[in-house]
Amino acid sequence: MKVLLVEDDRTVADFIVSELARVGHECTHCADGESGLAAARDNNHDVLVVDRMLPRLDGLALLASLRQEAIDTPVLILSALGDVDDRVQGLHCGADDYLVKPFAMAELLARLEILSRRGSQSGSEVPTRLQVADLEMDLLSQEVRRRGEVVNLQPREFRLLEYLMRNAGQVVTRAMLLEHVWGYHFDPQTNVIDVHISRLRQKIDRDFSPPLLATVRGAGDCLGAG
Amino acid sequence: MRILDVLNSLTFRYIVKYVTALSATVFLLLAVLYAYFSYGYFTELRSSILDELEALQLVYNGQGMEGVEQYLADQRNLPTIGRYSYLILDAEGTKVAGDLARTPRYREFSGGWLGFQLALLNWGETVDVDFLARRESLGDGYAALVARNYADAVASGGLVLVTLFRAMIATLLLGIVGGFFSAATTLHRFERLNSELSGIIRGNLSERLSIEGKKGYPRELARAMNLMLDQIGSLMQGVKLVSDNIAHDLRTPLTRIRNQLSQLRQRLDPAGQDEVDRIIEDCDSLLSSFNALLRISALESGSRAPVQARVALSGLLGDLAELYEPVANDKQVSLRLEIAGNVECAGDSDLLFQMCANLLDNAIKYTPAGGCIDVTLAARRDTVEIQVADSGPGIDPADRKNVFRRFYRVESSRGEQPGHGLGLSLVQAIVHYHRGSIALEDNEPGLRVVVNLPETSPRD
Repeated sequence: MKVLLVEDDRTVADFIVSELARVGHECTHCADGESGLAAARDNNHDVLVVDRMLPRLDGLALLASLRQEAIDTPVLILSALGDVDDRVQGLHCGADDYLVKPFAMAELLARLEILSRRGSQSGSEVPTRLQVADLEMDLLSQEVRRRGEVVNLQPREFRLLEYLMRNAGQVVTRAMLLEHVWGYHFDPQTNVIDVHISRLRQKIDRDFSPPLLATVRGAGDCLGAG
Repeated sequence: MRILDVLNSLTFRYIVKYVTALSATVFLLLAVLYAYFSYGYFTELRSSILDELEALQLVYNGQGMEGVEQYLADQRNLPTIGRYSYLILDAEGTKVAGDLARTPRYREFSGGWLGFQLALLNWGETVDVDFLARRESLGDGYAALVARNYADAVASGGLVLVTLFRAMIATLLLGIVGGFFSAATTLHRFERLNSELSGIIRGNLSERLSIEGKKGYPRELARAMNLMLDQIGSLMQGVKLVSDNIAHDLRTPLTRIRNQLSQLRQRLDPAGQDEVDRIIEDCDSLLSSFNALLRISALESGSRAPVQARVALSGLLGDLAELYEPVANDKQVSLRLEIAGNVECAGDSDLLFQMCANLLDNAIKYTPAGGCIDVTLAARRDTVEIQVADSGPGIDPADRKNVFRRFYRVESSRGEQPGHGLGLSLVQAIVHYHRGSIALEDNEPGLRVVVNLPETSPRD
């Protein structure tokens, strides 16, 4: 995965670059908006990480001119401003995801993986069936089978599993699940998601092996880790 | 305007005070006038009686009793107005001369003055008339009694009283009307200022008071207040800048520490990893209270745009209940819902979800196994009401105000329950941002939180 990072905070940038390199990704770094825009125009990155407040050219302005030039590389906005207004504004300018500082590296990594995959998949037709190992999901009949046996799921469990299957092999964080499966950006005081995950795990993994749904400590959950 | 509003209005209360003060003043003035009038009249009356007695004495000294009789007869022929009545007695007390038949029954006043009443014929009617009299000795055993009636004084006194009373009524009426007109405009303007100002305090601090009229105190006041609002605005801007700086300058290094810890963790053996995990957890909770604090500040600063979107609360609470049901179930707490359909309000759905999540999360935290939690949503007149009621230990009435304070935690829950003590502060900030109200009530047993939100945004 080739990442372009536009970030003026030297230490944060160094950290992101070294962390991405450690897990085997290539990362280019620009320290201000103008050079960031120039680098993004080359259009050979899988995903862009752009800080909101940048010297010379603001992150949102950078994004807007990028989209105007029909460069549709997935963009994740990084910002210390965490309010709904800011996020809505960011997404409105054409950002694909929005992450509020401070963030855990695992969260950023999980989101970047999913964004870069979405970028490479674009154009393919919408699937009606999802499959991970011997777990199958029919999106039309809303039926889930494991090894041919029907698994009964509640509507929300179905959507939870659908999101996990669409991002199979990727770690998805709790914040991502809340955003995409429940549709709310909020900060739960307790880990409400864990209970839902363990219920789902009961249904798809208890009577079968190997287990498909794994929890990655300190990061999130992953379906079909293989 | 309803009657009650009028009675409660500042204008009305001011006029009531003004009229009371005015009537007291007028009453006092009239009383002084009346007293002065009476005093003057009686002083005049007394000195005229003394003069008459002196005249009698002179006549007696010069011409004896015959002269006196002649003098009395002459007096009779004078016009009756202000006429004196006389009685001359000898040493035995028998009448010698005068128009009075005998000494009437009298009351004695101080200084030798006597007062009595006689029935007189006046235009064919008998009228009891008051007299003031004095008796002096003329010498040789003779005594003279000179009396003068003051019926005209009583009559004109009464007339004065009635006139004064009427004048007072007229003054009061004029006072009320005049006071109303002179005060109403100014006071009405003050009331407008007041309501505009409280609107600004509750809502958007960037709004300003309207400045009306050419001159006068209300205009100067509105100007001064607008200046004050400008200053508050720039101070708040400063605070916002500081909190943004905190966000930028302090949260970032904290995150760096957290990320370095997770890097470090990977190089450690399992025992070391557990230790680092605990430090990471502490880091996370510190970051989380930091985030909550900044969100509260941002909401309270009033710098956010007012709410515009419509939120389908029925659906939102359904989602919330569905999200928290497994947690409640694990704790053996039953979750009962009574959610009216199609209830909407103006708001921000993420914030309202956060608010309800905090309330429900608290309820689940404090309700013991076997208890139950009721979540209710109902449309009221102009508002929507969300209630979250639990069967836990509740909050002592004395503590209810405090729980909204940042970092405040009820003493009994300290150390027992996780949390940073910002949950309810954030709830309150969200409620205020939506211009709603929040109340904590006794659920007997347990706590009932009642949130009322305006159905439409005040801007609509």
